[in-house]
Amino acid sequence: MELEMLELFVSTVTEGLIYALLSYGVFITYTILDFPDLTVDGSFPLGAAVTAVLLVAGVNPYLTLAIALATGAMAGLVTGLIHVKLRVRDLLAGIITMTALFSINLQIAGSNLSVEREIDTIFTAPPTLAVFGSLSLIYRKLIVSLLIALICKLLLDIYFRTKSGLLLRAVGDNSTLVTSLAKDKGLVKILGLVISNALVALSGCVVCHAQRSFSSTMGTGQVVFGLATVIIGTTIFKKIGAVKGTTAVVVGSILYKMCIQIAISLGLPANLLKLITAVLFLVILVFGNYRKGSVRDNA
Amino acid sequence: MLELKNITKVYNPGTVTEMCLFKDFNLTVKDGEFISVVGSNGSGKTSMLNIICGSIAADSGEILINNVNINRQKDFKRYNNIGRVYQNPAMGTCPNMTILENLSLADNKGKPFGLSFGINRKRSDFYREQLESLGLGLEDKLNLKIGSLSGGQRQAVALIMATLTPLDFLILDEHTAALDPRTADIIMELTDKVIKDKKLTAIMVTHNLRYAVEYGSRLLMMDKGQFVLDLSGDLKTKTSTDDILGIFNKISIECGN
Amino acid sequence: MKKIISVLLALVSILAVTSCGKKSIPLIGINQYGEHASLDNCREGFLKGLEDAGLKEGTNYEIDYQNAGFDDSIATQIAQNFSSKNVALMCAIATPSATACFAAAEDKDIPVIFTAISDPVGAKLDSGNITGTSDKLPVESQLKLIRSVQPDAKTIGIIYTTSEPNSVSTIAEYNEKAGDYGFKIESVGVTAQAEVTQAVDTLINKGVDCFSNLTDNNVVGVLSSILEKTNEAGIPVYGSEVEQVKKGCVAAAGIDYYELGRKTGDMAAKILKGEAKADEMKYETISEFNIYVNSDALSALKLKLPEDIAKTAIESGK
Repeated sequence: MELEMLELFVSTVTEGLIYALLSYGVFITYTILDFPDLTVDGSFPLGAAVTAVLLVAGVNPYLTLAIALATGAMAGLVTGLIHVKLRVRDLLAGIITMTALFSINLQIAGSNLSVEREIDTIFTAPPTLAVFGSLSLIYRKLIVSLLIALICKLLLDIYFRTKSGLLLRAVGDNSTLVTSLAKDKGLVKILGLVISNALVALSGCVVCHAQRSFSSTMGTGQVVFGLATVIIGTTIFKKIGAVKGTTAVVVGSILYKMCIQIAISLGLPANLLKLITAVLFLVILVFGNYRKGSVRDNA
Repeated sequence: MLELKNITKVYNPGTVTEMCLFKDFNLTVKDGEFISVVGSNGSGKTSMLNIICGSIAADSGEILINNVNINRQKDFKRYNNIGRVYQNPAMGTCPNMTILENLSLADNKGKPFGLSFGINRKRSDFYREQLESLGLGLEDKLNLKIGSLSGGQRQAVALIMATLTPLDFLILDEHTAALDPRTADIIMELTDKVIKDKKLTAIMVTHNLRYAVEYGSRLLMMDKGQFVLDLSGDLKTKTSTDDILGIFNKISIECGN
Repeated sequence: MKKIISVLLALVSILAVTSCGKKSIPLIGINQYGEHASLDNCREGFLKGLEDAGLKEGTNYEIDYQNAGFDDSIATQIAQNFSSKNVALMCAIATPSATACFAAAEDKDIPVIFTAISDPVGAKLDSGNITGTSDKLPVESQLKLIRSVQPDAKTIGIIYTTSEPNSVSTIAEYNEKAGDYGFKIESVGVTAQAEVTQAVDTLINKGVDCFSNLTDNNVVGVLSSILEKTNEAGIPVYGSEVEQVKKGCVAAAGIDYYELGRKTGDMAAKILKGEAKADEMKYETISEFNIYVNSDALSALKLKLPEDIAKTAIESGK
């Protein structure tokens, strides 16, 4: 029974780690750029669609990671151009790209595409087996997902300390300053959107590897998921200044997936799943916000 | 040297609210001049600044910096040579970033913002020096987020940031207007000091007639897109605040303000 | 930091407590993609099928029924839950749940049995430790039905959701076979329920002689608004399943989803009893279909069902 629980815990944490990549993306646009980006609902399945097609075509599974990043980057670029060059509002620009991507994804992979068990994914391919072959699939998924999430996190953390990263943070904090620094704030925003959606598509790619399928409906609601994880993560870690945003959102993602799994495991009527999940979120947020005799933060 | 030649600007042309702000407006700013610009609301002071900086486009005329026509230059490009401090202290700094990060950003102006590390620890001493000159005790708070500073402190940091790298012009856009009298005085003194120390050419728009009189080498009063007063050198030093106020009121009454 | 650890510990312990199940008798995990008349009928049929095969709930098996609320990632987590519990069998209702279950069972021996999937081959769910039943629509029978009720009709209007795999493959079959019965198909693809009524207007404008439904969640979901428009225009709508005829469609050559579920339950019972293995069983399609008819709706549109069909048709109107 302990083994059972451990397995469930492990697969839930793995889900959280895979979706943490999506959370990184939403963190960049929503928190850092202050740009609510709905492209996510389209770029997430885009990564999966491209991956499914490539895997079925026999492309090296590891290569799909890079290609997914590139396609996500392009999606972000489109939203950025629509927003900056065509002067469409942030929310609408994202909606336009997301809507277009829905059709594009259908064109790429149809409404549904599965990857047969005979085809290797990043979790079952020889190089992975060579290093982690002794572990069962569930643990391999955990380790590989952990590695990907960690590498992305490290790269992001380093990036935010570079000049380009500082400028990106500045454009969301005070875009007037960016102009005063003689930089084109539009271009900086576009860069942020590109990086963000690249990560989101990467998340879709890894999900496709884990689930061996693409479904055209898999993007629906992912931006809500992303926002929830970012807010949960940043709320819980608000008091601890030393924790980086990237760490906070990973925790947020894992917590979210755990809440859903708890709701499933509680065995209550199946339709109450989303209600239970909402209640769990509320509990976490209230718990995270609770401070004895605190003064409200200055807006 | 900055020249505005025959600038014409009409707001809302062809509509009921059409207003001709500038018609063949001319201004020459020599290197090293510190110009104070006063005038009533709607006289065109801020519009003039915005035309120089590129936030607004003039309908016709030329803007020349060192004899180079910059009409076609996008606004952010012009800031390569221009530093600007805004009226709103929030516009000159990034509230969620530390003083050190803000200064590092400003320090990199004019250079590419690539993948090298943003914060150069070696420059920290230089930043401390700059902050020390403000006399506000900020040199010990490099890692404090700007958002937790007061308006005056933020404006002071904004001033340092705007003048950290070499400039052709410093544009001060009513930068003391949102501060309390004491802080405003401090910032004004600092401004004067920075301009003198770095030998900057500056244009300061202000509502404060006393500052306009006491600081700067030239005083301009604008009304309806024209200069009604242009004092420099001895003429300026001999003028008092009351004199300026008198002229100001006269114009205002004429327009029925 | 302490707070985070305590939050995590709390969640983990809740997870531990809630996920422990009795392991004495086999657990069957039902992963239903969403609540929907056809899918619900499937599930009930499945449970009956198990019963009919001689297995008793509580004695021979336990059921864990989970509903993914039409959310793909929840379907995945449900499948992971079942996998970690090492259920004896995963029953997946609808394609997204089936792919999720199949992925979660990847390196374990857990058999997956699916139902309500139109195209198992297309979804690559036809080989491996997986089997089930397919609800491929009896397109030809529907075409025959329409032809017999409306001998002069030329065009059939079909609204479908572009992202539903079942719909896309069925439209293809309609396009292929329509000519054989002297029909032309006018189809409009939508992406959400909100677009369906506009699609109806478009097709009415194009002068279709009738509408035919697929087992499309979005379309079936707003059937009443569709019927309002079509009834006003005097155009009949042929459903794909008995529930739709009950709601007001004139007739349907449809699959009985309850029966489909029952057959699935029967297959599942065989696997549980050890009589067969999932990887040896080919998925089954129901070829039997029923003609359901709503006489009130028919006569309101001044249509009649030919004698020979009326004899075996099942009256489903009020």
